[in-house]
Amino acid sequence: MKVVLVKRVKPLPLGGLVIPGASIVIGVLISTVVLYVISRADPLVTLSCVASALVSPEIVLTFLFLTILGAALLVAFNGSIWNIGAEGQLWLGTAAATYIALFTALPQAPAIAKVAMVLTAMALGGTWAAVAGVLRAYLSIDEVPVTLIMNYIAYYIINYLVRGPWLGKKTWGYIRTDMIPDQVKFTLLPGSTTVTYEVLIIAVLALIAVYFMLKYTSLGLRIRILGSNPDALKAAGVNVRALIITALTLSGAIAGAMGAAQLAGYLHRISYPIESHTANYGYTAILVAWLSMLDIRAVPIAAYIVSALYQAGISMQIAGISSASATYVFIGAVLLTFTVLRVFSEYSLRVIRG
Amino acid sequence: MDAASYILSVAPAFMAYYLTSLGQGFFEKSGVLNLSIDGVFVLGIAVAYAASIYSCSPWVGLAAAVLTAVVFGMLLTYVTTKFPVSHGAAGLSIMFLGYGLAGLVGVAARNTYNEMVVSGIYPQFTLPVTPIAKVLMFAIPVGLGILLYLLEVRTKLGAAVRAVGEDPHAATSLGIDVLRVRLIAAALGYSLIGAGSAGFLTWVATWSEGTGINHGWIAYAVSLAAGRHPLLTVGTAGAFAILATYMYTLQAAYNLSPEIAKMIPFIVAIGAMVTFMSTPLRKKLAPPQSLGRRFFKEERTV
Repeated sequence: MKVVLVKRVKPLPLGGLVIPGASIVIGVLISTVVLYVISRADPLVTLSCVASALVSPEIVLTFLFLTILGAALLVAFNGSIWNIGAEGQLWLGTAAATYIALFTALPQAPAIAKVAMVLTAMALGGTWAAVAGVLRAYLSIDEVPVTLIMNYIAYYIINYLVRGPWLGKKTWGYIRTDMIPDQVKFTLLPGSTTVTYEVLIIAVLALIAVYFMLKYTSLGLRIRILGSNPDALKAAGVNVRALIITALTLSGAIAGAMGAAQLAGYLHRISYPIESHTANYGYTAILVAWLSMLDIRAVPIAAYIVSALYQAGISMQIAGISSASATYVFIGAVLLTFTVLRVFSEYSLRVIRG
Repeated sequence: MDAASYILSVAPAFMAYYLTSLGQGFFEKSGVLNLSIDGVFVLGIAVAYAASIYSCSPWVGLAAAVLTAVVFGMLLTYVTTKFPVSHGAAGLSIMFLGYGLAGLVGVAARNTYNEMVVSGIYPQFTLPVTPIAKVLMFAIPVGLGILLYLLEVRTKLGAAVRAVGEDPHAATSLGIDVLRVRLIAAALGYSLIGAGSAGFLTWVATWSEGTGINHGWIAYAVSLAAGRHPLLTVGTAGAFAILATYMYTLQAAYNLSPEIAKMIPFIVAIGAMVTFMSTPLRKKLAPPQSLGRRFFKEERTV
């Protein structure tokens, strides 16, 4: 008797809901056990931290950021282009927006400055991603190591700027830039201390734009075929090189927009060194994109769950139950469970005798 | 300081970066894209720290780091070879787990350490750093590198590792058990990564939450810059170990910004990938053909 993995004729019905749902439950349970075994965290407290994070208003900002980045990654992921570089692309977006806010005359016209901050951030994020696109398109260099490595180059470029030419004058000894002028900060929603109108608008626009692009445009169709059957594209005479570069550029540009939103909507300045101040949204968003099973309509749901897990880790740390690492345990356990369980949306286990 | 002690100061950093990138390169030769490296490296450091404190011996720490790394490496290998899953997603999830577990294990050990210090016991968690030990920190890793190189090019196992990295389906039809070969590659590669993380702990000689984060990626870049070649990696790892050890001296002497110094291995890695893919070096140093590809046929026994 042996157990075999057999391809399903049709994908598992409702697999897009059942599998991520099961992964989250199993992943959280595994994390609870791990936290209990290593840190003696009371399982009931852990689970209640997760449950209360699900309804906590504090997750809204993280949710919006992860939604924007999830949309960004889906543009590339749908074409089987694995952009691991959202982290660098978004931070360069933050840097571009900082430049506009601190070192140009534009903030005197706040509305124009805000638009310019987002657009320059998109331009820089897109250009940064395009480098990996060119290397992939013309030299068939895998984009995974390139985008990943470029995150660190981006970190150190910004660190260099913040320690050197961009170092603020009023920083009380901290190594960081000056605060961006008040008039270019995004406008807070009434009753919220973190969520702004502009971030909300960028998130909605990113979702709608990516949805329409993937579903209704020829570019979107080509990107999706690039993911499933690149040879067909070549046979049809599509310029695959340009397509790869376009997909990565768009992906980087949306990540860059999130970088601008992070600056004007929340951080208001860049602190040195980036690698200890980053929330690692660029990496966490990979989990969002995966959990959505590359369906843009599922991105907000995935972003909601992931931001709740993110918050659960933080509230456990505040409660003194565990260190900052609980968030990583949650995210790692859910992602690993999901990576394995996902197989069963297209395959099933059968027992064969003999 | 005389010239010899300048050179010897580089030893712990060299051991850390060389062993880690050597293991990473060898493991990736078997065709599994390894994005778990940074998490496993960070976890290895924390486990080495914790095990040394609980046992009062850095050698137990070294062994524990090696064992832990091998367990996670084999998990990654099993999942990516047995199931049609994305190597990148599996690797990154183990990376996150590694970061998380490292924090939990390390913080618990640090609390114990602080209690022991109060009662007058100072457990040793760094490997010895006498001049002779430092010479060995150069000699043993390089010796292991030469052995691994010979294994890669001269033995049947080495040929099998390269074969499953280039084309696992063809290797299967030649009678090679892909899973077994990749598991062996993982065991060897990850034990080097684990030893490298213990070397890193010796180098920095302190632990706090987050110690080692990003240094696994540096080792990854060091390995890519040498085209995963065990002997060329001596050069790239050595160069970066010098840079890392004397980063602040270089800043004082030549006004070399530490940010630029930290950027160098990453830029060199991209430059090297471009060179390897666009010149005849491609034959020797290009990545394995099937690196990161799913190895799966229509159905299979689990």
